[in-house]
Amino acid sequence: MTIVGLNSLSYTYPGSAEPALSAVSFELGEGDYLAIVGANGSGKSTLVRCLNGLLVPPVGAVSIAGADPATPSGRIAARKALSLVFQSPPDQIVASVVEEDVAFGLENLGVARHEMRVRVEGALAAVDLLEERSRSPRFLSSGQQQRLAVAGAIAMRPRVVAFDEATSMIDPMGRKAVLGLMDDLVTSGISVIHVTHDMDEAARARRIAVLSGGRLVFLGSPAELFSSDRLEQLRLARPRSYSAAIALGLQPVIGEDAAALGRRAVVAQTSKVAPRQHAAFIPTNAEPAFSLRSVSMSYLAGTESERLAVDSVSLDVPAGAVVALVGRTGSGKSSLLQLLDGLALPDSGVALSLGVDTADRKTDLRAVRMRAPLAVQRPESAIFEAYSGDEVAFGPRNQGLSGQVLVDRVRAAMDAAGLPFDEFRDRQPRTLSGGMKRRLALASILSLDPDALLLDEPSSALDPASRAEILALIQGYASGGNASADNRRRTVVMSTHSMDEAATADLVAVMKAGALAAFGPPILIFGKGWDESWGLDRPFAYQLDEAMSPSTAAVVPSSVALAADPVLVSAPADARTHR
Amino acid sequence: MKGIEFLKHVSIGRYVEADSPVHRLTPVAKYLWMMALVLSATVSASAAVVCASAVLPLFFAKLARVRILFLLRGFLPVLPFLGIAAIFQVLFSWPADRSTVLLALGPVTLSAREAVAVALMALRFMAMMSTIGLFTSVTSEGDTARGVEDVFAPLARIGFPARGLALMIAVAFRFIPIVAGEFESVVKAQAARGADFGAGARGPIRKARAYLPLIVPVTIRALERAEALAEAMEARCYGVGPSTRYVDTTGGAADIAARIAAIIYAVGIFAVPVFFAS
Repeated sequence: MTIVGLNSLSYTYPGSAEPALSAVSFELGEGDYLAIVGANGSGKSTLVRCLNGLLVPPVGAVSIAGADPATPSGRIAARKALSLVFQSPPDQIVASVVEEDVAFGLENLGVARHEMRVRVEGALAAVDLLEERSRSPRFLSSGQQQRLAVAGAIAMRPRVVAFDEATSMIDPMGRKAVLGLMDDLVTSGISVIHVTHDMDEAARARRIAVLSGGRLVFLGSPAELFSSDRLEQLRLARPRSYSAAIALGLQPVIGEDAAALGRRAVVAQTSKVAPRQHAAFIPTNAEPAFSLRSVSMSYLAGTESERLAVDSVSLDVPAGAVVALVGRTGSGKSSLLQLLDGLALPDSGVALSLGVDTADRKTDLRAVRMRAPLAVQRPESAIFEAYSGDEVAFGPRNQGLSGQVLVDRVRAAMDAAGLPFDEFRDRQPRTLSGGMKRRLALASILSLDPDALLLDEPSSALDPASRAEILALIQGYASGGNASADNRRRTVVMSTHSMDEAATADLVAVMKAGALAAFGPPILIFGKGWDESWGLDRPFAYQLDEAMSPSTAAVVPSSVALAADPVLVSAPADARTHR
Repeated sequence: MKGIEFLKHVSIGRYVEADSPVHRLTPVAKYLWMMALVLSATVSASAAVVCASAVLPLFFAKLARVRILFLLRGFLPVLPFLGIAAIFQVLFSWPADRSTVLLALGPVTLSAREAVAVALMALRFMAMMSTIGLFTSVTSEGDTARGVEDVFAPLARIGFPARGLALMIAVAFRFIPIVAGEFESVVKAQAARGADFGAGARGPIRKARAYLPLIVPVTIRALERAEALAEAMEARCYGVGPSTRYVDTTGGAADIAARIAAIIYAVGIFAVPVFFAS
């Protein structure tokens, strides 16, 4: 039976000339599992919002379990039949107690109290949050918050649940749990629509729909999509195991994990190894770019709600290194970055930022921050100027630059960020796509000509192509290749939830509950130094290496030579690592 | 933490979950007692009533096992204003004040009547602060909102949007840390680019311009977050028809008794001066 039916759905936002969706048609059956992928701005969120009447579609274009969300009565029926889980975990929590939040939808439907209790309990049990039922959602991790949103959805007994990039803002463990919940829903006969940028996630679905410029350009099985040669043109990528299988000369299998692929590779006795570029980082004798000594920091120090965010961390970031900062949500990554930048100051211990003590009263913090600026999460939300060029000029103007020097700075930064100055300086930031906005925000930091860059989840919530562009931009900065007068390597510290990204860094710092759990090169961190208790997942390449060489238990990837003088994985007791 | 920190991490109110006879009261009973005590502390002219309304919250705090010192701390910020008011009382004599002069320093005198007035004023403030402090200490965010709905329930029958008002309060609680968080994030983003808020700028227009990098993005983000929350609520069928409530705040016989006691107290404070007028 058809649960979701789209019949040539078009939608144009009021005041906009271009349609956001044009003639999209497909059908979704009971217990079906559909992934929707496409670049930022391709119409995915618009489509999902037309399904339950958050945006009003044309009459007759959408049918949800027989109801038309274009009509007022149909809208109510559609919202009962289709639950929506949104991208940002905190933005969909209404109540101040977990179980009351699950009940919110039921209250609105006028369900009797005893019936509500049964359904709330069932929903919380299904997402494994029963023990947290009387807590405040504020104290849940973002992964738990997203499971709470799922509980609120399934308590309403929907026929279909749509996830709108619901895994893009949570850590690997939280993501795994939410993906597992999607499988559970499908098993229990509830249809799932999953809007995502992650091709590994999309490959889990039974079918994939690709949107491009508001049009449905592909609808078919994952196998059909990923064997297509139109992927690049659609700004999409292949799942990790799929690409690895091709690199190994094996037939790709959809949804195969690293272990299974590794076993196949061993059986096939393939001689090729998974591609990985990995020059070992050799620290110079130069002074570290950032140095923390037993640094602790609490929020709301001295009040009853005091919370320790960073717990006696000692860390030297060698000059010229690219350091990936990983750890679960709330493990202290953002706080650590702010300490390095001087936006946060230590309660105890010493923080040296480019050799300057940030807690010293004589320190000009403004100067320190501009030498090693931090791009906060979603930095594009701080864009305020009407024109892109002015936005990028804001920083250098604050440095006192003007005239031709200023123009040169802005030009270099915008060119480096892939937004050519001549073409983009007079573009209004609000007309740019999500990926471009992110690059503009980074350009407005590069224009400071900083000695080091601090980036908080720079690649989050972007489509695969935009993600690759951002990472290339960071690599370009680190290697000194663009926007800089000399060619020395420059320091970058960036947090990320993608371990595959972290594996390409020179060094990886693992945070756990505010403390530095480990610090060293990726081959050690993801190899023999690996610790399950960090609550992370290992990069695909490392999982594959392990699967392909089961005999060597000391999981050092065969394809990578050990660094001559490796930075040791440190014990938490004394995290000073450099020799 | 030093550096840039905002309200983001603050929990609204001071509610700490606990089990006590006071905690167990329904939100309506708590609201009624709060109103009765604040009313008696502010309106009554009788010294006896003001004393009673200052002592009662402390007694309730004892029952609720809330630290009394913690409640009185809320009284501290008011002290300077009290001090100024007290000085005025002492400097200017009441007309026709014939009470005993307790202290005299040249032309400045402190009469017994002035002393009583100052003490009563202090007590009124103390009563108010400790009552409100106690209320927020024993009432969760959810109950604070639900209590409003219950208090206005009689009016809801004639179309007063009690439910909507309660939800508005609940959402406001949720939103304060969200907006504070957005503000913090934008301030940090601009500070990283060398923004120097206010400092050095002269003249109102230049001063306002210095805040432009904050106002524009914070406003946009706050609206975006509000829209996201509104969408999430709508998607969960908010406002589709008559709603029910998950949390039961009916209360038993003891609670009804507490409500009646609050009303008797409120009525009583106006009766006391009548019967015990000096």
